[in-house]
This record gives sequence, C-alpha cells and structure tokens, in this order.
Amino acid sequence: MIQVNNLTKYFGAFAAIQDVSFEVEAGEIVGFLGPNGAGKSTTMRILTGFSPASRGTAHIDGYEVHLEPLEVKRRVGYLPERVPLYDEMTVKGFLSYIAEIKGMRRRARLVESERVMERCGLGHMANRIVGNLSKGYRQRVGLAQALVGSPKVLVLDEPTVGLDPEQIVEIRKMIKGLREYHTVLISTHILPEVSMLCQRVLIINQGHIVAQDSMENLAGFGRAQQLLVKVAANGDKALHTLRTTPGVAEVREETPNVFSVRGNEKASAGRELNAALAQALVQAQVPLVSLEERARTLEEIFVEVVSKERETLPPTGDAISAQQETAGESNA
Amino acid sequence: MRSAWVVAKRDFQSFFYTPIGYIVVGMFALISGLAFVFSFNMYVLVSQEPTMYGYSTVPDFEETLLSPFMVFCGTLIMFLSPLITMRLFAEEKHRGTIELLLTQPLRDRDILFGKFMAAMGMVLIMMLVVGVHVAIMGYFAEVEVLVLVFGVVTVFLMGAAFISLGLFVSSISKNQITAGTVAFGLNLLLYILGYTGENLPEITPLPEHVAGIIRVPLDFAYQTFRAFVMELPVDAHARELALGVIHPKNVVYYLLFCSFFLFLTFRALESRKWRS
Repeated sequence: MIQVNNLTKYFGAFAAIQDVSFEVEAGEIVGFLGPNGAGKSTTMRILTGFSPASRGTAHIDGYEVHLEPLEVKRRVGYLPERVPLYDEMTVKGFLSYIAEIKGMRRRARLVESERVMERCGLGHMANRIVGNLSKGYRQRVGLAQALVGSPKVLVLDEPTVGLDPEQIVEIRKMIKGLREYHTVLISTHILPEVSMLCQRVLIINQGHIVAQDSMENLAGFGRAQQLLVKVAANGDKALHTLRTTPGVAEVREETPNVFSVRGNEKASAGRELNAALAQALVQAQVPLVSLEERARTLEEIFVEVVSKERETLPPTGDAISAQQETAGESNA
Repeated sequence: MRSAWVVAKRDFQSFFYTPIGYIVVGMFALISGLAFVFSFNMYVLVSQEPTMYGYSTVPDFEETLLSPFMVFCGTLIMFLSPLITMRLFAEEKHRGTIELLLTQPLRDRDILFGKFMAAMGMVLIMMLVVGVHVAIMGYFAEVEVLVLVFGVVTVFLMGAAFISLGLFVSSISKNQITAGTVAFGLNLLLYILGYTGENLPEITPLPEHVAGIIRVPLDFAYQTFRAFVMELPVDAHARELALGVIHPKNVVYYLLFCSFFLFLTFRALESRKWRS
C-alpha cells in the first residue's frame, strides 16, 4: 500500500532524512519510531504531499506522490502533529467542509460527518465551536477529519501527544479499531504505544531507518532467554538446583531468594527453559513463588539500536546544529 | 473550479464567524454613507446657486457627484482591503491549517482562486452598500445608467487590485499583523506616488549646458520614471473609467495588476516545493 524508495530530503545542506526505504502492506498498523528530530514528520509530510522530497520516490496505492499528488491526496487521511483546525467553525461544519473538499454531495456529506463523529465519539459535540474544545476533543476532531471519506491510508503524526492518560487510552482504542478498514502509519516517540498498537515497527534515527521488523522479532531476535525466578525459602538450595539444570548458562542472585537465569543458545532457541526450571525446582522441593520470562522491551531495543547507530555514525557538529534548527522550525 | 468554490465559501463564511467581516462592512457603510450625504448636500447647494461656487451653469451630476463618489468608495476599499486579505494565508500558516489545506485533494490554483473569490465576495457586499446609496440617488435624480455601471465596475476593479496585492502579501507572511501592515503600506505608497507623479515637472529638470549624449539617456530615464509613477497608482486609472470613458489601457491596467499579483501569490504558494 505504501512503498517508499530512497527518500531523501535536504534542508539546505542538512539531510533531514537520507535514503529512507520501507514498505507497508495493506491493513497493517505500522509504528514509526524515533527520537525528536529524527525525520518522522519530514517523511510523513512527503508521503502526504505537503512537501516534496529532494530525491527518491514514494508510492501510495500505486500512485507516485510527486507525479500524481491529487490521486495520492484522495487516498490519504493525514493528522499532522499540530492538529490543524478552524477554530471558528463548529465540529459538524468543519467535518462537512472537509467532506465537501473531498468532493462529496450534500447528502453524502451529512452522512459522512455523522459517521466519523460517531466513530470518534464526537456525536454530542457536533454543534460546539472547535475553538472551545479541550485538547482531547480537538485531537479527536483532527482524527475524525483524517477519517472523512474512508481513505485507504491513514498517516497519523504523534496522535497522542499532550493528552491526559485517559484520553491517550481512548485515542489508542480508536486507532486500534481502524485496522479493519485502513492501512495506518503512526509516528510516535512513546515506546509502549507502539507495542500496544502496531504489528510492525520502523525505527528511524538521524534520518536513517535503523531497524524495521515485527514486534515479536525485534523483541526476541538474537537474544538468550532470560528468566526471573522467585522462591519463598531455601535460597541456597534453589541456587544450586538452578545451576545444575541443563540448558542454563548463568545464574545470578539479584536479591535474597530472587535469581535471574540466562539460558544457553540451544535452550533459548527452543524456549524450553521455563518448564525445565519449574520441574527441577519442584523436584528439589524448593517453594517456587514465580517464574517469569523477561522479554526485551521496546525501550531496550530502541536504546540498543539507536546507540549502536551513534557509534557507527558519530554526528558532526553541523548535523547536530542543523537538526536543532529543524526541530525549532517545526515547533515554531 | 468546484473545489475553488468550496474553499471560497468557507473563507467567505469565516469572515462573518468573527467580527472582522461585520467591522469591515460596517466601517465601509458608515464612511461611504457619510461621504455620500456630504457630497449630495454639497451638490444640492451648488446646483441651487452655481455662480456662488464658481460654476457658470448647474454642474454635470455624473461628473461632479457620481464618479468622484465611486472613486472615493474605491479608495475606501484601499484602506479596508488589508483587513480582508491579511488573514487569508497568514492565518492558515499561523494556525497550521495550511498543512491541512495542502494535503487535501486540492490544486494550488483552487486554493488561490478560492481565497481571491472569498475576498472579492467582501468587495461585492460593499458594492451592495454602494447600491443602496445609488438607489436613493436614483430616486431623487435621473442617473445616466452607463456612468453608473462604469462607476460600479470601477469600484470592483479597484477592489480586485487591492485584494490581489493584499493576497500576495498575506501569502508571504506568517503573521496577520505583518500581512495587514505591509499591504496597507504598499497601498498607501501607491496612492501617494500618484500625487508625487502629478507634481513632477513635465520637462526633464536638467541644467541647460548638459551635452546631448548625456541628456538623451537621462531624459529617457526621467520620462520613464515619471510615466511609471503616474500610471502605477490604482486610483489614477479609476477617474476616467468612473466617468464612463473607456480607455483600453485603464481596463488592461487592472487586469495586469491583478494577474501580476495573483501570479506572484501562486509562486509563493508553490515555493514550499523548493524552499527548505
């Protein structure tokens, strides 16, 4: 649905993004992850036809963004980072204006604005002036605007920024519900959000895609199985038992009666350590309290990927100051 | 063109969601109304005793009242047009809604003409106000229809010129106040330039002993400058036109003026594609 090839965008001499390539299949929710100023918004702006790339191509539903911008814009719903709303209009008026721009007739406009308001929980706000709405509701109106006309692709730039926790949960729920009808590209720098919403993650740093994979693969890839074992008593016996269980590479006593266990390569590959340890401890009559696998969190993956990138690509003074400039620009 | 109409409709309506539309039209109605009453009164006085005011007979109604009033209305639009145009692009940029607009299935020209039409809608409303004055006038006196038509066309053309200039300034500013101030300044500059032009001597002011080889290019430069200064102001072309005297150059002037600034606006809008 979305194909991006070697997209590069220069701001003066500074490359905001460089040779970014990725693909998004129809019906996927893909998280676009990166620190502030990494190039997320720049990429999204190119995809939505707001600003052109310096080099490279981007296809949406088979249409090239620079060559057939109108066709692309008909197929993309876009929620920019700064939610763009006409403060003086009513919610209903605003949404029906967007529907009218998209070429809908009067009757269809009414039905469509009702539909998206219903979808985003705005039904009771239809006649309110947009300028008087709270931030959470503004965000919903922004999302509703992107949904008008059921575009095939949704590009959402940090949809949960600045919301309170309850609103964040609601917006996330809404986004999760979009999967049936839309392909969604969602950018964020909040990591748990990605693990909650997305099947696949693109990590971008300093204008380069540094990792792209499914959540499961990213979490487990090339890594030994790690378990946290808690026992009620008999710490020494437990330690001995754990060390002698086949498949265990290393055991560390974190606090009394709490051990962290790392499996060896063979055991990790088969994910068979849990059962083996439980069985061994029970046989040794150690009172086992809990045994949990420690999956690698997205935070860890992210820090690892990004810091690895920093080692191989030391940023020059120029790049840093230019990056700050663009960050300032997008805030301005 | 349908899309341009959609944009125009929203932008026009939004003038009246905020007080600005009412203020502009209200101010226009107030000032043009006062001016109308004063000049009508004056004309009545003059026509009763023409010799007292230096006329040998009753002065021509169209020439002394109607056309100057029309030109005055056009000049009034000059003062009010920045209030209309300043928000059109600057506010969109300031609020970030330009990003919304430019990612909708709209062509640049739809946005440009939509905004232009919305602002011209305001000018049309002002013309309705003028229409009320003219209707009152028509009740009391016989008005030559052609002069009336050309008077209205003149105001409309002047309005279009000021709007296109203001639209361009708005398209290159991020701040409404800046857009309004610069547009107003440019309007005023053009206006004052016209009076300067009238005061420039017709013959190139050069000392007599200047040799021909220097005199010719200097003379040419001065005459070009003088012609430019005299022809550039928006109201300079209105006076003849409002009298019902059609010189193609006057109509062409307004068309060129508008196309020039609309073209610049189009380029300014397009510049996002190559500017970083």
